[in-house]
Amino acid sequence: MNCAIQVRGLRKSYGSHMVLKGLDFQIEKGEVFSLLGVNGAGKTTALECIEGLRNYDSGAIIVNGKIGIQLQSSSLPAHIKPMEAVGLFAKWNRAKIDRSMLHTLGIEEIEKKQYIQLSTGQKRRLHLALALISNPDIIFLDEPTAGLDALGRVSLHEQIRKFKSQGKTIVLASHDMAEVEALCDRIAILSHGTIVFCGTATELTDKVGKKYVIHIKTQQGDGTFETDNIEDTLISLLGELKQKEIHVSDIKVDRGTLEQHFMEMTGREAE
Amino acid sequence: MSGVLYSVALQWKLDIRSKSLFVTCYVVPLIFFLLMGGIFTSVMPDMRSTLIQSMIVMCVSMGAFIGLPPSLIETYGSDIKKVYKANGVPVYSGLVTMFLSAFIHLMIACSVIALLAFVLFEAVLPAQLPTFFFALAIYLIVSLSIGSILGLIIKNQAKLTMIAQLVFLPSIMLSGIMFPIDLLPDFLEMAGRVFPAFWGYRLMLNSGFCLENLWYLILVFFAAVIICGILLKKQKLE
Repeated sequence: MNCAIQVRGLRKSYGSHMVLKGLDFQIEKGEVFSLLGVNGAGKTTALECIEGLRNYDSGAIIVNGKIGIQLQSSSLPAHIKPMEAVGLFAKWNRAKIDRSMLHTLGIEEIEKKQYIQLSTGQKRRLHLALALISNPDIIFLDEPTAGLDALGRVSLHEQIRKFKSQGKTIVLASHDMAEVEALCDRIAILSHGTIVFCGTATELTDKVGKKYVIHIKTQQGDGTFETDNIEDTLISLLGELKQKEIHVSDIKVDRGTLEQHFMEMTGREAE
Repeated sequence: MSGVLYSVALQWKLDIRSKSLFVTCYVVPLIFFLLMGGIFTSVMPDMRSTLIQSMIVMCVSMGAFIGLPPSLIETYGSDIKKVYKANGVPVYSGLVTMFLSAFIHLMIACSVIALLAFVLFEAVLPAQLPTFFFALAIYLIVSLSIGSILGLIIKNQAKLTMIAQLVFLPSIMLSGIMFPIDLLPDFLEMAGRVFPAFWGYRLMLNSGFCLENLWYLILVFFAAVIICGILLKKQKLE
């Protein structure tokens, strides 16, 4: 079976408020997958149901493999030391401690500090190490780079790519669209409790209308133009500028970021 | 089994580091004991025969009602409880670990009080030490089970500070450890019987280990286990 996670008709309500209205999607083995959604879309609830942290009302979730969950930075006792937490998780999972993994994540450097004394980045690294203790097949990462400096982000992105190269499946929850675009093979967009899109970033771009943004710099000023037809618009713009004898000093074409497409998709849904 | 032992040993260390349980199990009860032990035995020399039991009631009440619940709130009132689920560990593990750790802390503190009372204030040691420690263990378990309810039912520290006092103060004032209960008005005497401290104190006295002093503690313990079970089940469903 090539499917790591299969979600079918997942429904969840809090009282009379239905948060998940029948989600259907699947995550393939070895891919980096992200579930996106604005705050309140039901993303955390959906992920917690898949992780087994939350009960759901109906539907089915099939998980093929051992999972490791990177929890948020408030989920350990204030006075525990990193290596004590590692030891505890190893006992619970009947796993051997992988010293090289701890070294890579820099856990040994912070072993004398208590959890409460760790910086946000150090807490994230510790939670990632704890998620990896059991050598899971599927890793859930919740905002893994939030609060990290540029170096920390690059290092973590490398780590995620390394997991992927080892054949692990990664489910990423992030608000950082650039990060999602750089790391993920496929994304699902959740809006008002339903999946409004599931596919690659390129497929999303195609779906929202192939929107291009043209930035033109001239001696008389700068201009930005949005279009779905890049060829005709460029010919027409450059022709007009030539006719008016305006010299173009720079020209740049963007195909729109994932963030723009995401906003469009969730915005459309809201309308 | 090694996982349970590791968890209890770790919790025992965390309790000392976090200071709240350390202060309520050791520092405050020992200071109270040294002050009151000196005063009681000077003013009322007869108190030497019950000094150990009365100071232990104070220590256990403080540790169980004021010391244990904050650790439980830290876990069950926050995202820490998700750690258990995420690792396939039963949600009651945290409660069991903290309960056992607090039990060991309080047993040590009570033993220190008994020893110091004998050495410093010439307090009378219990005639049957094994029976005394068995009675102490029962009283400790019952008190900690009530502390567990407080820690599971109250969601924040501010509320806990108020509500824990409603259990702690009557336990001290109405159990007969400060003054003979006969001096109290009837309704306060009856109110005192509601609290395990009243029965625990009698159970630990010489010749006090009998069903008459035991049945209520057993009843409270089983009621507390059921309530804790319901509260944990609720946590699991959340």
